[in-house]
Amino acid sequence: MAGALSGLKVIELGEMVSAPYAAKLMADIGAEIVKIERPGAGDRARTRGPFPGGQTHPEKSGLYLYLNTNKLGVTLDVSRPEGFDLLERLAADADVLIHNVAPSDMDRIGLTFERLRSRNPRLVMTSISPWGQNGPKREWRAEDLTLWSASGICYINGGGMEHPEMPPLKAFGHQAGFQGGVHAAVATMGAVLAQVRDGEGEHVDVSIHESLVSQMELFFEFWPYMGMVASRLGQRPIQPLEIMECRDGYIFVCCVEEHQWRNFIELMGSPEWAAEEIFSDRLKRAANWDALKVFLEDWIKQQSALDLYKKAQARRIPFAPVSTMGDLLSSEHLKKRGFFVEIAHPVAGTHQYPGAPLKYHRTPWEIRRPAPTLGQHNEEVFGARLGLGAARIEELHRTGVI
Amino acid sequence: MAKLPLQGVRIADFTWVWAGPYCTLQLAHLGADVIRIETRTRPCVTRLLPPWPEGKPGLNRSGYFNQYNQGKRSLTLNYAKPGALDIARRLVETSDVVTNNFAAGVMEKLGLGYENLRKLKPDLIMISLSGYGDTGPYREYVAYGPAQVPLSGLSSLTGYKGWPPMQAGFSYADPNAGVHGAFAILAALYHRKKTGEGQYIDMSQWECAMGLLPEGILEYTMNGREPERDGNRDPLIAPHGVFPSKDRFENTGVMVDMWVSIVAADDAEFERLAVAIGRPEIARDPRFNTAAARKRNEDELEAAISAWTSQRSAAEAEQILQAAGVAAAMCAPNKFVSEDPHLKERGYWVYLDHPEVGVQQHCGIPWQMSRTEGKVRGPAPLIGQHTDEVLTQVLGYSEAEVARLRAAGALE
Repeated sequence: MAGALSGLKVIELGEMVSAPYAAKLMADIGAEIVKIERPGAGDRARTRGPFPGGQTHPEKSGLYLYLNTNKLGVTLDVSRPEGFDLLERLAADADVLIHNVAPSDMDRIGLTFERLRSRNPRLVMTSISPWGQNGPKREWRAEDLTLWSASGICYINGGGMEHPEMPPLKAFGHQAGFQGGVHAAVATMGAVLAQVRDGEGEHVDVSIHESLVSQMELFFEFWPYMGMVASRLGQRPIQPLEIMECRDGYIFVCCVEEHQWRNFIELMGSPEWAAEEIFSDRLKRAANWDALKVFLEDWIKQQSALDLYKKAQARRIPFAPVSTMGDLLSSEHLKKRGFFVEIAHPVAGTHQYPGAPLKYHRTPWEIRRPAPTLGQHNEEVFGARLGLGAARIEELHRTGVI
Repeated sequence: MAKLPLQGVRIADFTWVWAGPYCTLQLAHLGADVIRIETRTRPCVTRLLPPWPEGKPGLNRSGYFNQYNQGKRSLTLNYAKPGALDIARRLVETSDVVTNNFAAGVMEKLGLGYENLRKLKPDLIMISLSGYGDTGPYREYVAYGPAQVPLSGLSSLTGYKGWPPMQAGFSYADPNAGVHGAFAILAALYHRKKTGEGQYIDMSQWECAMGLLPEGILEYTMNGREPERDGNRDPLIAPHGVFPSKDRFENTGVMVDMWVSIVAADDAEFERLAVAIGRPEIARDPRFNTAAARKRNEDELEAAISAWTSQRSAAEAEQILQAAGVAAAMCAPNKFVSEDPHLKERGYWVYLDHPEVGVQQHCGIPWQMSRTEGKVRGPAPLIGQHTDEVLTQVLGYSEAEVARLRAAGALE
């Protein structure tokens, strides 16, 4: 059985996380991706790791290997006229071009939708950029941390009201890149459906910054609706909703509804303090959190995290463990669902990777090939697909175009 | 202007709270007719949460609900009353997609499981966006938004060095699952267009979130090591941090302190940074002249940058550094995001007149399309606002039948 997107032809001009993740989402359910990298160094994700044994190697970077499964890989210097010409020829035959070339670099190399659509009016071109293709910040520099900050998300996370000296805090990894990527995948698929219907393509401009602002939960609207700044230094409205330490790890203690709190008290053996008036509802528990915290810490630190999790869930209390990576890999639930997948790569070896974010009951999510080595499919793509002869390919290699 | 990509596609939206509504918001942005099936007997949690104008609660007054349900319709049903389930089934028959984010088994108990619904509509696409997925030993566990970030592993990787694990600041796993769900539905619509086949999608919020942690998970599977929490720092790049500014102000009794994030990704960017903060010599200093040296001496480097940022406002620091070509951005509180001239010029904000809260500033669509350009088509619905309209115009009930169903309590 072929994947849901089998037959969809995508060219990716992607670096690091956003465009590569968008293309990976499509590749893993059947789309055919040709990924273009710079000759020589390739995608910057090749420098990021983690690396087996901690040894830096461009074919062994975990971030790259994860983000580029199921793709054909070619090298091409699109900033040179011969290189751009080959990009145009690839795009002439594609349904989608997805890229995260910075707007200032797009200007420099002449990468515009108008130019590519003149050869292929069906083309959907998705441009992912930190701030979008227009507006005063179009060319502002950005990294994952600065985007997470500019969106407002950093400001609402940190050490809490007892620790105003601790700075706003980003979440681990490259979350801005991932969110830019998945929002771009959504917008791109919208444009693809319109392309199938109308036979015409279009330009899709995705702003990573806006993708983050769009998911601020209730925290953004506090300003327009109530003139309130949502802050990491403010008081929590409801308690307990806290990460707390057990004897062998951490657990997220979560009682939102009163019945959950009552069940939790029972689970603790109905201690005397729990009957105090100052803990009698979730708002009072928040107002008197200092006192409550001491009692809870005392009990929770004697528990085992996974054991408490299961006991709580058996009483319909929505606790969750603070999973370590080891916990994830040994989870009986994830094993039963077959979440982690083993991928063998000719240079990096065989490792387990995060698997399917979705399960279709009819069409597969599958790893058909590992991430490409740098330029692995140059002959296949430039030769077999574009029809360049061996001598011409050799010349492009020699002159550093591919 | 061309028709919107999903014009003519109808979504019977049984989701609630946040993950599901964020999923169907994306589809509404692309032009789908999203009909939320709600009930007054247990209103959506986000209708009960702040913010509310003037601090006055009300089912239609929450900024939280009004943000994530723009451009959708609302139908209210009470399944306990005769006729209500029949309406739900008839709605499914006229829909392309069914969405829900209940725990595994809940739709089946209502008789609205996929196996039943596909008999009504053979090419139906149905997605379940649950906390744990439809299979596996924990499939019936209770999942709440803020618990999914710790569960996913993200919390154990997030936090200051030497501190306990921390949250992401918001229930990140919810919108993440929602937007992945939207992608899954769109790809299923593509497959249906090509083959005529619908399908069922089992999506676990937990699994969706783990896909965002390859650096942590692969450090473990490749090297058997649990990565250490390291605040805002990066394993290879320095400076990569959040620095204090001199400005602060009070808002509703809480001090708003301003900070600025700064990254210099390579030697050239670091040199520009050094010049911009009036310390050109540090770019040549052997303690800081390579990425590896800057990483080794990161505390000293951060102290030098803090000395400069703490004399300025965050906005000034951001402007000076961006003018010099350095990645810098203030850690914007919501007020500053709301006033950002860039977002205004991009036309990102949505100002629609809502019958109960009037014109409020709402987040818009994070992409722009050149041909099928969408707009947010309406404010979030009042609870049950479109019940009569959907029953009579979409499902073909007569007004007399609607009156009878209402009298029987089925439309609560």
